[in-house]
Amino acid sequence: MSTDYASAGLDKLQLGHIRHFDNLSRQPPNEWALMKGKGYGQEDFGGFRFQLAYMAYALALAHRHRLPAAPGVFKPVFQRLIEKILLPEVWMYWRDVSRGGSIFNAHLADKYSEEWDPVRRDNIMYGAYVQSMALLYNYLFNDDRYAKPGALTFQFWSYFWGGQPKRFEYDQNSLNDHIYWQMVESGYLGVACEPNCIFQICNQPAILGFRMHDLVNGGSSAEEVTRGYEQAWKDFGRIGDNGHYHIMITEDAKTVRQNMGKAPWVDAWVGALMNMWNRDFVHQHYPRQISDLVKAGENDALSINVPARPEIMGQRIVTDDCDFGWVTAWTSEMGDAERLQGLLAHADRYMAPVWREGGLYYPRNDRIEDANGNRTLIEPMSGNVLLGYARLNIPDGLWRLYNEPWSKAHFEEPAITEVSSDIDIWRAVFDPKVNKLEMIVERRDDIAGDGSIRLSRALSRGRWSMICEDIEIAHGAAGDVVVTGPLNVSIEKNYLVIRFPRGFSHSCAVAFAAR
Amino acid sequence: MNEVGLPPASPIGGSFDLVDHHGRRVTDAAYRGRYVLIFFGFTNCRVVCPRALTRLSAALDLLGPLADRVQPLYITVDPDRDTPEAMQVFLRSYPRFVGLTGSKEQIDRVKGEFRVFARRISDPDDFDGATIRHTAIAYVMGPDGRYVSHFTDTSSSEETADRLRTLLALA
Repeated sequence: MSTDYASAGLDKLQLGHIRHFDNLSRQPPNEWALMKGKGYGQEDFGGFRFQLAYMAYALALAHRHRLPAAPGVFKPVFQRLIEKILLPEVWMYWRDVSRGGSIFNAHLADKYSEEWDPVRRDNIMYGAYVQSMALLYNYLFNDDRYAKPGALTFQFWSYFWGGQPKRFEYDQNSLNDHIYWQMVESGYLGVACEPNCIFQICNQPAILGFRMHDLVNGGSSAEEVTRGYEQAWKDFGRIGDNGHYHIMITEDAKTVRQNMGKAPWVDAWVGALMNMWNRDFVHQHYPRQISDLVKAGENDALSINVPARPEIMGQRIVTDDCDFGWVTAWTSEMGDAERLQGLLAHADRYMAPVWREGGLYYPRNDRIEDANGNRTLIEPMSGNVLLGYARLNIPDGLWRLYNEPWSKAHFEEPAITEVSSDIDIWRAVFDPKVNKLEMIVERRDDIAGDGSIRLSRALSRGRWSMICEDIEIAHGAAGDVVVTGPLNVSIEKNYLVIRFPRGFSHSCAVAFAAR
Repeated sequence: MNEVGLPPASPIGGSFDLVDHHGRRVTDAAYRGRYVLIFFGFTNCRVVCPRALTRLSAALDLLGPLADRVQPLYITVDPDRDTPEAMQVFLRSYPRFVGLTGSKEQIDRVKGEFRVFARRISDPDDFDGATIRHTAIAYVMGPDGRYVSHFTDTSSSEETADRLRTLLALA
């Protein structure tokens, strides 16, 4: 099934989302244009970490299912996203949040102290993203750069305050081990986000990370943790009387906070991720849950029911809930094509999509609805990331990423491993049965670049020939290349390098002689 | 000087000062030079501990003479009820194991070092109306007292024996 999507390749909108991720990843350090949410201090979905992590997850899904022979499209973006999530701007909120004092656990405020290391205690909503992104990277690109000692280092120093430099060194394995043992110590119930608050959802990314760790290093920690997780949550249930997922449990009193208000983001976020290891359970409850969350609009468009948020302590809560984005992402994982298309139709109609530097996104709009009552509110997390995630995902896409890993042979097949910035890859799939790499390539006029792609693992497969639209472009073997068509094809080191002229937009194939 | 927070080389294990099932004081130093296989539990445990100790005992049997290089320990998570005498009775069925108990503070400390979860929950089927849910991991500590590896409760006797054999061969 997944191969059907790879054969079909990407459409214009999907390419637009990937390029928008690429554009955001290329912003200079601490430039967060288009990414700032309504709330203060990186404490909710307005936090950059969520956008960075789910862009990486969306790229992982797109690479795994839709563009498997083009790691070069995704790998550099992934690296830049990981680089950004290590920036203090992303994680320094923890120094304050670690002190406790939220309304959930005001009684524990004296127990907590300021913690600078963002992953040492609790804060799974950050640590698990770093862990899972690094391990996904290793798995997808067969590159262990984040396994090197200190490869995931959190450091902070200010000229203006804070005293001595702070530096906390981890790598993908030490961070994974650290999270794993926190899971063990919790009896597999999970690691807290804010102090004392164990959210169901926030432990799902850690499970994805464990699975990737197992795929890279061997072992069965994901299976162990999910089995323990099932057992631990049995005491409390995972779903409330109203059929919706519990939000969280308090670590000290073991009190469950139910989703009494049927907040869409709770169900949708949990369901979209938990499906990776608990598919039957998630699918079983989906029909009842989603029917409470989605409502019909005009001309097949769908929107969502969003409950009013009560004031707390006389204060209005200002956060990015990302209800629309999460519900849309969830429908994609559930394979609910009708609702997915309906929600995307609503977004395209009422949420003002923008094309910018080749990228597609829905810009932040704080206005809840238009004059006709159509929902227009959209947050950076939804507009930059989640709607793109939904378009790039396939039915049970995360489940397949988790349960149907690539074979070792995949990493030995010819692939597009470098792509210049002005190239769009619409399709890239290697068919081992016929020993052929098929691709659709377009060189853009509106973006600077040298119009090149590089193929790896091609020269070791013997004689080859490249054809574009039935015209032979080049053929060769080992270090020899004979150019017979209108493209510049050369060999540089171990790469087959192809340079495309401006305006090029064609399907091509590189066929290899039978092995 | 920088404030550097390096995760420890191993986040698991540490020193302990407990009492064995003969009533003698024992510290971790007593086992230097040997591998130590540690399982945490409680003697009133009806399922997890008997199954684990049976499996681990069988794995050590499979090792033959190599098992002499491994000292299995059973550390209680229920110090109120698990006196040395209670542990001695319980461990008659698992004679390879040395039982260790101590004060609540001593046990809390060693649980923390090994990241062990243990929580009392109500259980109408239990004689006391409660049981203890606890971590079911067997920890392997090296001759220098440092963490080497661990086994979960899904590892069979044969798998455990094979991995222990490999670890012992590496020494």
